[in-house]
Amino acid sequence: MIIPIIGLLLGILIGLLSPVTIPVQYSTYMSVAILAALDSVFGGIRSSMEKIFNIQIFISGFFGNAILAAILTYIGDQLGVPMYYAAIFAFGVRLFQNFAIIRRYIFSGHKKN
Amino acid sequence: MKNFKFQIAMAIVCIVLGVMISVQFKTVRSGIGTVSEYRARQLSSELKKVREERDALLNQKSEYEKKIREYENTASQGSNSAKMLKAELDNARILAGLEDVEGPGVTVIVDDLSLSESLGYLLISYTDLLEIVNDLNAAGAEAISINGQRFTARTEIREAGNYININTEKLSAPFVVKAIGNPDTLQGALLIRIGIVERLQKKNVQVTIKQEQNLKIIKYNGILQRQYSKVINEGEKQ
Repeated sequence: MIIPIIGLLLGILIGLLSPVTIPVQYSTYMSVAILAALDSVFGGIRSSMEKIFNIQIFISGFFGNAILAAILTYIGDQLGVPMYYAAIFAFGVRLFQNFAIIRRYIFSGHKKN
Repeated sequence: MKNFKFQIAMAIVCIVLGVMISVQFKTVRSGIGTVSEYRARQLSSELKKVREERDALLNQKSEYEKKIREYENTASQGSNSAKMLKAELDNARILAGLEDVEGPGVTVIVDDLSLSESLGYLLISYTDLLEIVNDLNAAGAEAISINGQRFTARTEIREAGNYININTEKLSAPFVVKAIGNPDTLQGALLIRIGIVERLQKKNVQVTIKQEQNLKIIKYNGILQRQYSKVINEGEKQ
């Protein structure tokens, strides 16, 4: 479990030290993409605990969800409908659900073993 | 083996996530941050209102000016001295930049070809514009405007961030300088050796000078105010 945490810290460092910033008008896209990525991470942890982790599903879910969320946001922007709410809602609900299942696996798993 | 694969995949995803989080964090912290849609709408409606108000006031101003002209005309129809006063007043107005004028002259287009954006600083400095105006005045220009802003005795040309302020109006390249006067003299003054045009061209600024027979220069759109200066009446002392 230590490698992903190192990866996260490394990523944050890269982001902070690099001079890259995104224009303010695209920050909605970025926040939705971050939410999608967070959802994938929790989903990955959950599936690994259920021992059904599949790397292809995990990676395609990570990038696919982020891109789909960004496209939804773009379409919503063009139509004047805040469609990214749908993405935020779906990812948010899934995130908490996955987290709840992870908690159950951790605590009940320890008891079983 | 499966656990190792999982950890590597997770690490890659976490690196991407970390980069996204920190870039977003920097973006939100660096600028004004995200403006909510509601606030943006509010601001744009306020802007619209203020613009409408400004246009209404400008209309009112030109109406009042028209009325003043009418009063002057009726007043000057009476006596001969009033007629002379009116002629003098018109002349002073033209020279002060309070009238639209037309006549022969030159149009100077100073364009940085959008190089300033990639360089990160203004390629055309305010001193360049001042020098152009200075040279034109030295060559006997009677009326000068830059991007539609009439150059009056009170006009400033100064740098303000990424813009150049003229008559407190934010302007940016390309600058179109119009001047009424003898076209040949005006063009000659700018094209003098080691003059402003040659120096600008060395900086990769495109300068185009066109002689024109019928140039229109609009009036100064603000109000010239006087608060501190008083006329010295030497005639009374003597």
